[in-house]
Amino acid sequence: MTVALEGRPGRARPTLVNHNLTTASGIGLGVSMIWFSLLVLIPLTAVLVTASSGGWAEFWRSITNEQTRAAIRLTVMAAASVTLVNIVAGTAIAWVLVRDRFPGKGLLELVIDIPFALPTIVAGLVLVSLYGNDSPLGLHLANTSGSVYLAFLFVTLPFVVRMVQPVLEELDMEVEEAAASLGAGRATIFRRVVLPSLAPAIAAGAALSFARAMGEYGSLVLLSGNLPFESEVTSVRILSAIENDNQAAAASIAAVLLVISLLVIVALDILQRRVARRG
Amino acid sequence: MAETRRASAGPTTYVLRVLVIAYLALLVAWPVVLVGTNAFANGTQAMVDVLADPDTVHALQLSAIAAVVATVINTVFGVTISMLLVRKEFPGKRVLSALIDLPLSVSPIVVGLALMLVYGGRNGWLGPTVEDWGLQVVFATPGIVLATAFVSLPLVIREVVPVLHELGTEQEQAAQSLGASGWQTFWRITLPSIKWAVIYGVVLTLARSLGEFGAVKVVSGNVLGETRTATLAVEERYLNFDQEGAYALAFLLASVSVLAILVVFVLRARGTRHRAFERQS
Amino acid sequence: MSIDVSGVNKRYGEFVALQDINLTLPTGQLTALLGPSGGGKTTLLRIIAGLETADSGSVVIEGVEATRLPVQKRNVGFVFQHYAAFKHLSVARNVAFGLEIRKKPKDEIRAKVDELLRLVHLDAFADRLPSQLSGGQRQRMALARALAIEPSVLLLDEPFGALDAKVRKELRDWLRRLHDEVHVTTVFVTHDQEEALEVADEIVVVNEGRVEQVGSPDQLYDAPANEFVMGFLGEVTVLGGVRLRPHDVEMTTAPVPGALEGRVVRALRVGFEVRVTVDVAGQDAPVTVVMTRTHARSLGLEPGTAVWLAPAEGATAVASATPAARPAPEAVAG
Repeated sequence: MTVALEGRPGRARPTLVNHNLTTASGIGLGVSMIWFSLLVLIPLTAVLVTASSGGWAEFWRSITNEQTRAAIRLTVMAAASVTLVNIVAGTAIAWVLVRDRFPGKGLLELVIDIPFALPTIVAGLVLVSLYGNDSPLGLHLANTSGSVYLAFLFVTLPFVVRMVQPVLEELDMEVEEAAASLGAGRATIFRRVVLPSLAPAIAAGAALSFARAMGEYGSLVLLSGNLPFESEVTSVRILSAIENDNQAAAASIAAVLLVISLLVIVALDILQRRVARRG
Repeated sequence: MAETRRASAGPTTYVLRVLVIAYLALLVAWPVVLVGTNAFANGTQAMVDVLADPDTVHALQLSAIAAVVATVINTVFGVTISMLLVRKEFPGKRVLSALIDLPLSVSPIVVGLALMLVYGGRNGWLGPTVEDWGLQVVFATPGIVLATAFVSLPLVIREVVPVLHELGTEQEQAAQSLGASGWQTFWRITLPSIKWAVIYGVVLTLARSLGEFGAVKVVSGNVLGETRTATLAVEERYLNFDQEGAYALAFLLASVSVLAILVVFVLRARGTRHRAFERQS
Repeated sequence: MSIDVSGVNKRYGEFVALQDINLTLPTGQLTALLGPSGGGKTTLLRIIAGLETADSGSVVIEGVEATRLPVQKRNVGFVFQHYAAFKHLSVARNVAFGLEIRKKPKDEIRAKVDELLRLVHLDAFADRLPSQLSGGQRQRMALARALAIEPSVLLLDEPFGALDAKVRKELRDWLRRLHDEVHVTTVFVTHDQEEALEVADEIVVVNEGRVEQVGSPDQLYDAPANEFVMGFLGEVTVLGGVRLRPHDVEMTTAPVPGALEGRVVRALRVGFEVRVTVDVAGQDAPVTVVMTRTHARSLGLEPGTAVWLAPAEGATAVASATPAARPAPEAVAG
């Protein structure tokens, strides 16, 4: 049995009974579970069931359709590259937010959260305004595969930053000072002392960022043009299948995304426990 | 705490600072500002036109209603689940706490599809039955509410759970030793203590709900004047070459979300100061 | 009898927290549950309060069978180590909480709160938030809050454990005086033997889930039931197979019949007393002897001086089965 009790040490002790629900909290749990099932669990199960209803061959044909394959390849490539960029950029941003001080830093904090709160369709429009055909920078990324990378970078920006920032804040500066007193240079301190403590948080942020990018749709609508074999992502393929009333094919591609989401959730659960243990 | 954490400012510090500012300016700040300037490129005319269009006003109303209903549901559900996850032991707790985060990493299109498969009026698992009761879900407001509630489900929980953990159970036990029932303890002690976390969660949920696009696109049917939400209207206007209108509407939506982050930002700063003070004394 | 605990057992998985506890505490008495951390004393207190349930056994409070009563119905006042102040309520509202729950009339609540705040010397702080109080003030507020409901028993879990030494000592004296005024049956948990000896009418020594001894401070100090109690209540040294207090060792510079011969290793002055370490032939561990400075000077002790050691007349002594067994670090620390 897992014991995740809180409070002062010495109070939290494992109990032999496997629940401590009162009648009221039992009803609360029951109602919540019914709602959660109706809203999330049953619908997601329906996706997996529908995907498998036509058998393995049918499923395989749906996801290996040439156009779908190209879309999945682009999505995975872009999501993976963007996640790598986020690992570096996100850690750097978190570092600057925690350790550096300069006027206007508060504004930076605000900017980080914008991609999270902005409606995705607006995010697409936002990016079109700077990187579209009327680009004041002369960059014409709209309707190219580059636009997919750009949109992913935008919508996934907060994840690594927001996972790493609190860990970095809690990090004991004395450890770094101790390392310095033992003769370690700044690069060595970062690599051998700071980075290992941040690693679980970075990995958790990366997992969230990858999952978010894999399923992204809204920000691409106005930006990427959804050109087959060029800028069409997996979500768009699912939507086309839905619009063609081919629910089985839609469910098959959706199942691939869903499995990736589930894997990310499992990875996150493990990583967050590790973050908690270190903190 | 953080104010003494200052890296000795070497050249690396400055290079990093400039790079980070440039990256964020190019990726976020500049484009967001451009939406504002584009929306008002020809003065306030575009905005006036948008707000004079009854279909757009209907879309805004629909978005607002769906967002408010979804937020109310997610707040009640979120606080209940958080209390259960932190304060109670029951079989399957760890699985539940992992699954709660699932909506954050599922594609909105997959969310839409999943709801269609279950609540679709023609051949959904439950859709025909529910329709027999006289309730149309998909291609109607209930479907929009469900899609919105799905995507913003974990936000309240993610805010409340860590605060409940940090709060501990001593105050609740003290209240009970003074005679308070479970219900009285919750209303008089626990809820006031997690108030700010609930408020952050509500603001974030509201912002996320207002902006939902993909899942709503699949389940709403996008019927002008009926099931078209504000975000769908932005797409429609842009694709119909009404760029000014699209920018004006986008500006409205963006203002709401930026306002939401501002509110959370200010509240958080307040909370941090409060905690720092408490630790001092 | 105010509190009657009989046959109480409690396990957490494999860990036995309490084993067949039988305890009777008379009305109006101030009792200390004393023992090392993890010994089960807090668990026992929480079982009396109803914050924890025993696996078996019964708890009777003021003649009322309370074993199955929830904490809300037991009418006990409980004071937590970390105050458990309601942070969002003012000091006065904290104290009023239990009365509000009992739906007492507003005037009555106000009068009672005023009276209690005066009692704990917090009348000037009624409208402050707990975060604006010091630790000692917060604990006094918690005490007033627990007393407000006129509890049949007052239970305190390490009430001064989180405070610094000076405040702890003040509050300790104050609790004793308060008890003499209010006279409510009080049980407090502590791991500090000095605190227990100074404040309590009766001490219950709890260790490894069992009651080792119950008695007045004098009884426990002068007639410890076993090695553990002796070690926990004060410093112990071993002389010729007998455990006794270092100040109960008589030292002479001339041979005495029955005394053991030894050689001074070190003489350390600590304030008004002198601690002498003596190597005794045929004994592994050296013997510690404590005496006044005047006495030490009259003996003219130097490292290497030959001395003869014997237990003083009427000394508290327990035969030592295993000379190095069960040291009690907390007790030796002073």
